[in-house]
Amino acid sequence: MFPPRRPAFHPTDRGIAPNVGYQSKVRVIDRYKVIGFISSGTYGRVYKAVGRQNQTGEFAIKKFKPDKEGEQIQYTGISQSAVREMALCSELSHPNVIKLIEIILEDKCIFMVFEYAEHDLLQIVHHHTQPTRHPIPPPTVKSIMFQLLNGCQYLHSNWVLHRDLKPANIMVTSSGEVKIGDLGLARLFNKPLHSLFSGDKVVVTIWYRAPELLLGSRHYTPAIDMWAIGCIFAELLSLRPIFKGEEAKMDSKKTVPFQRNQMQKIVEIMGLPRKEQWPHLVNMPEYAQLQTLPTSSHNKSGGSNLEKWYYSTINSHSATSVMSSNSSLGAEGYKLLSGLLEYDPEKRLTAQQALQHPFFSTGDKVSANCFEGMKMEYPHRRVSQDDNDIRTSSLPGTKRSGLPDDSRPMKRMKE
Amino acid sequence: MAANFWESTQRRHWQFSRPRLDELRKKLEEEESNLVQMYPLPQLRHLSIYFNQQIARLGKRLGVRQQAMATAQLYIRRFYSKVEIRRTNPYLVIATAVYLACKMEESPHHIRLVVSEGRTLWPDFFSSDTSKVGECEFFLISEMSSQMIVHHPYRSLTALQGTFSLTQEESALAWSIINDHYMTDLPLLYAPHIIALMAILLALVLRPNQTGVQSASGAANSTAHAVHAALNAVSQPKSWSPEKQAGGPRTKVQRLANWLAESNIDIEGIVDCTQEMISFYEVQEQYNEKLTREQINRFVKARGLDK
Repeated sequence: MFPPRRPAFHPTDRGIAPNVGYQSKVRVIDRYKVIGFISSGTYGRVYKAVGRQNQTGEFAIKKFKPDKEGEQIQYTGISQSAVREMALCSELSHPNVIKLIEIILEDKCIFMVFEYAEHDLLQIVHHHTQPTRHPIPPPTVKSIMFQLLNGCQYLHSNWVLHRDLKPANIMVTSSGEVKIGDLGLARLFNKPLHSLFSGDKVVVTIWYRAPELLLGSRHYTPAIDMWAIGCIFAELLSLRPIFKGEEAKMDSKKTVPFQRNQMQKIVEIMGLPRKEQWPHLVNMPEYAQLQTLPTSSHNKSGGSNLEKWYYSTINSHSATSVMSSNSSLGAEGYKLLSGLLEYDPEKRLTAQQALQHPFFSTGDKVSANCFEGMKMEYPHRRVSQDDNDIRTSSLPGTKRSGLPDDSRPMKRMKE
Repeated sequence: MAANFWESTQRRHWQFSRPRLDELRKKLEEEESNLVQMYPLPQLRHLSIYFNQQIARLGKRLGVRQQAMATAQLYIRRFYSKVEIRRTNPYLVIATAVYLACKMEESPHHIRLVVSEGRTLWPDFFSSDTSKVGECEFFLISEMSSQMIVHHPYRSLTALQGTFSLTQEESALAWSIINDHYMTDLPLLYAPHIIALMAILLALVLRPNQTGVQSASGAANSTAHAVHAALNAVSQPKSWSPEKQAGGPRTKVQRLANWLAESNIDIEGIVDCTQEMISFYEVQEQYNEKLTREQINRFVKARGLDK
């Protein structure tokens, strides 16, 4: 207990007096009322909350898991990725990037408070497969893509690589605003003191991983985010990941294996990359591995099947569904997709170029609300009540309660 | 933000006017008036020189690059604009700032390594308990409101050296002037490009082939004189007649003056920065390392801040 009066000596000691230690000036539970648990990951847990001090709106509070030494929680130094995320989120400000409200450092834990988003692209795509597959309306696809590219263009013009773009990380608010979220892997690429490769060896959930990364490139660029956006575009059209490979595990020596299966999935649709279209291909560390990929039966010519994939995808729903097809996305949709899924990272569309693509200037006007004109409403994010105490450390074995994580869908489904 | 200084947290939250900065510090001292009376300290510029020396020693042992050390210095200056120094163990703050800056500059070191090097450098003032650095990291980040991305003048210098045809020696001198400005309040007062231009101007006036910064600071009067002549040129570019001036550096100063006159850049600011640096080099002459160290060590020990 604190003595009612301070000792006569050191009358000036307040706040963090010697040996009392760091004390946060604000307390999470004084400022926010937790209304439920949203998800957990390797980083920690996310809670939904409302303000207690007249803050408007709802919030998502990301609590970083503190390191434990035995049962005692210790200060062990903040991980580099948490430091990056805290610094970048404090700096960034754009309507298409999730907004940080504040960071509270309290009781050896980090709480990052974000604006709340009711939906994410994983959940929206999933909803369109239930009970039967029905396409996401073209104006929605167009608006989502424009907003996503707009957020990405902002990140890239500020020298930020996201490095983990995937449907689960793209948030959508109930008013139809798209917000790029989870900058846990993001980092600045303007002046790396070490090569970007040396820090974190493997980046981006495998289905969205760019071919140059799969081929072992050490020198990567914003183009890796653009490939991921191409994959997301394809997924919005077909409602399933376009290149759904199986991840090869790291071996005991911790060397990064060649992701043969993932590369194979890309080659099946895109054809084998050729040095005529991608001059630096031959310099890729895993170039030799390409030759060992089995050539699929329907793709002996080596050419791309993407156009075929695109038109069969946008027209397919019309036969099986009473809802309108995606065929109105037309030829410009294909051109945008193929520009994003371009093998050569130097030729791949930049976010800026993609924003100026005729896809967005032809046909329906792009709305800033991706739900504009929609009659249905997507289900709300599931919030569970089994852990409302944000202060206690995480309970073991509690998994994301809503939708399965898109990186391990099969396993999670079985659980 | 990260690429855009104008929208950065550095410009929005960490650039002050001189009166505002004085006011912040005065408030800190008033709140801790007893501590301030009990433990007198040398002037801030001397403290900054001492901190810079300690950062350099730790940085050398860890192999930290200059830019990360500059980031650490800026973190410390921000921190002590919000926290009275006598409430802290400066050695712990220094080590923590270096540890954090290395993470932000993408060249991280393990906390245990930082702590063991700190122990070696300051055995009587630094705990071997790594959680002390971990705790101080929370304190540092919290006081900085997680605003850890900083803009340094080095990039502007690199971008401008071609514009002003700087020789390698001139660039190197400008670079070291930028290193030195972290021992002043300038990084809390001016934008990085202003600092870079000040460093270029000063480098051209000091002429590295004749004198290094150290010896130039010894002859502060003549340096000040040369700078004032150059500054007159900068503020009145029209009156600067090229025919009367000969020699490389002179024409380079003139080119800089013309370039500034055509830009919207805050010339007054550059003048102020130049004067601040010259007065810093003068003050540096009176720096007494032993006295500074003793005064810091005294309050750390007396208040048990090393525990």
